[in-house]
Amino acid sequence: MLTKVWSMAHQGLQAIEIEVEVNVASRGFPSFNIVGLPTKAVEEAKERVRTALINTGVDFPSKKITVNLAPADIPKEGSAYDLPMAVGILLANGEIVLDGTKRYFYGEVGLDGKLRHTKGVFLLASLAKEKGVKEILVPKLSANEASVVSGVRVLPVDSLVSLIRHFREEKKIKALKNLAGKELIEEAEVDFDFSEVVGQEQAKRALEIAAAGGHNVLMVGPPGSGKTMLARAMPGILPELTEREALEVTRIYSVTGNIEPGGGLIRRRPFRAPHHTTSKMGLIGGGSKPMPGEISLAHRGVLFLDEFAEYPRTVLEALRQPLEDGMVSVVRVAGTVKFPARFMLIAAANPCPCGFLGHKKKECKCLPGQIINYQKRMSGPILDRIDIHVQVPFVEVEKLRDDVVMKENSLQVRQRVVKARKIQEERFKNETVFWNGEMKNKQIKKFSELSKDAERLLQQAADKFQLSARSYFRIIKVSRTIADLEGSRGVEYSHVAEALQYRVREVG
Amino acid sequence: MKDWRQWQIGNVRFNELPMSWRRIKPKIEKLYYRGHWDEQLFEKVIAVVGSRRVTRYGRRVVEMLVPGLVKVGYTIVSGFMYGVDTLAHKVCLETGGRTVAVLGSGLDELTPVENDKLYSRLLAENSLVVSEYEKNEQARLWTFPQRNRIVAGMSRGVLVVEGGLKSGSLITARLGFQQKKKVMAVPGNIDSGMSKGTNWLIRNGAVLVSSVEEILAELGEEKAEVKVKQMQLLSREERRVVDVLQREEMEVDELARAMMIDVPQLGRLLSELSLRGVVEEFNGKYMLGLDYVD
Repeated sequence: MLTKVWSMAHQGLQAIEIEVEVNVASRGFPSFNIVGLPTKAVEEAKERVRTALINTGVDFPSKKITVNLAPADIPKEGSAYDLPMAVGILLANGEIVLDGTKRYFYGEVGLDGKLRHTKGVFLLASLAKEKGVKEILVPKLSANEASVVSGVRVLPVDSLVSLIRHFREEKKIKALKNLAGKELIEEAEVDFDFSEVVGQEQAKRALEIAAAGGHNVLMVGPPGSGKTMLARAMPGILPELTEREALEVTRIYSVTGNIEPGGGLIRRRPFRAPHHTTSKMGLIGGGSKPMPGEISLAHRGVLFLDEFAEYPRTVLEALRQPLEDGMVSVVRVAGTVKFPARFMLIAAANPCPCGFLGHKKKECKCLPGQIINYQKRMSGPILDRIDIHVQVPFVEVEKLRDDVVMKENSLQVRQRVVKARKIQEERFKNETVFWNGEMKNKQIKKFSELSKDAERLLQQAADKFQLSARSYFRIIKVSRTIADLEGSRGVEYSHVAEALQYRVREVG
Repeated sequence: MKDWRQWQIGNVRFNELPMSWRRIKPKIEKLYYRGHWDEQLFEKVIAVVGSRRVTRYGRRVVEMLVPGLVKVGYTIVSGFMYGVDTLAHKVCLETGGRTVAVLGSGLDELTPVENDKLYSRLLAENSLVVSEYEKNEQARLWTFPQRNRIVAGMSRGVLVVEGGLKSGSLITARLGFQQKKKVMAVPGNIDSGMSKGTNWLIRNGAVLVSSVEEILAELGEEKAEVKVKQMQLLSREERRVVDVLQREEMEVDELARAMMIDVPQLGRLLSELSLRGVVEEFNGKYMLGLDYVD
């Protein structure tokens, strides 16, 4: 007897509808075969499904069973086909009967018949919505991911037993309540607050400007000065995710299995801090079956590269294109996959290999030659994408009196950031860029006209500090953002004067 | 700029050396050189030496003292090592002076490799690189102190800018004493490791110097003309920055706290003041600029 149920495969972030055909032949030697380009994980589904069904108390047919995953030319991988195969066998066996409506089945089955957390459920729900499929059956632990997609009935399945009882109308599974993404996002709290970082007023101000204008930042300072803490606080001062952004991020996290069991919509801006030994593919994305890398996981959030000087040159070079385009294309012989990667880059580095150059209390133990080499590694084209450069000195915390420490929390800073971003949205509504940080020379000329004395100041600075043409324009961009934070239409003297503090300079 | 390798190596035998150099013990059998051998270069010579690791303070001292010496016609001699040596050569060239580098290796053995460009620049700007070693001889631990006797021997005086207690510049200073040269040292904070050596020297017979005028007086020069510096007009806010920095160099955050103003406002002040040369920034710390006079 031939049965058909529906499920999903994905290539990168692209979901594809899959038809799972199960044929239980009345003749032939007992066997269990899967065709349709299954990988090892799919192939092994045989054992899981067989054992799970037997342990659920179902009579497993000792007949020739053939499973076809159509379209047969797309490689299938992962364990999500366990459930549709099991359902197909149950149907063929006559254990359950389905009405004609189209449903998606998706999920990994354990040997005891329980359903496990499976990645990609959010993608399934989106596909269902797109194709007009009204109902999806997914593992209970993953069901929350799907609950934010409106118009789709999500049935959280806890085990094969409850699935059987559902279709036998003995005990119905209750559909999950649809949740409004917007409210979920508003409820989310900042997980690391600005006020927790003591001192570092200049660095905080730099991050505020960066957040307001979407500029990338380089922080230089000795170990223990709070670079990582500052970076962690960054997502909290960025505007809240919009619902659309949250869905984009959730999609990436769902596919890569980065949503923990029971988790739902990603409500906070991502913060990713890959180690400097991360491979190029791990960072950019790739693989024979391309998967998103760290930069895509940082989409709409913050990518923090600590020990910036330790990253291999090739890895940093690979970051350039995504920084420019806001997405990354992974090209393979089999085809090109695009992953979104619109993130803010925060890089941090020590001033020298030992880290204590210019430290108040500790002496730097590096040889001068080592320092020169170390700083050379930090230069190069990637630095051209970083507008703001800030020193993060060591702070003797016990010396700070409470009354002089600025205790502004993330929400207060965020309000100013949001205001500045509104101004930019208005400004760039007919342009291809979104924020000041993304402005090209053309837009800089169009939108950042300097007042007379501001221009004179910048010219003076260019001579005195020997600014390159690139840094010259970077300072204008940062000035524009400072002006926006102040709500000023034009870029004035004071804005440029402050922006000069964040120019990229030589250390050492 | 011509690469230094393209310059011919010349040599001078003992009998051809300037008289004062022949007194150097152990005696210099033969001296190799690259560049312009010009006896005038050796008339007024001062050695500027210091540690390989140079602090902000050391850098500032060199930048304050060397230009003044160059302007009254002194040739700066040093050891071409990184740190104070390299800085002294560089500052000398930047002021338009001439300098002599005494290598601790053969003339074809570039030590340290970072000074590749400086080597060429030195030759291009009428200066001299000398060594008593065969051109391919590598630097050893003992060749550096050995060449120090030449550094001291060529000069009227030895100026030690910075150095720890075991630093090579103390060897140069000791050789200077032995050769009856004026040994001068710039004092430093007693808690700074890089000033322990110079402070020790001052306790043990070196002359404390803190300005170009004092150095020139020690070397028996007539009173030199003092550089006229421009008075700066400061606003009240700028005045406060200067007042605070006069006491101590500071990071931006510290300065903001000391002045009780917010960082953006302070940033504007500092940019303005740096452009006018009233303050200077180094490694995130602000201090008063060299050209600033009250």
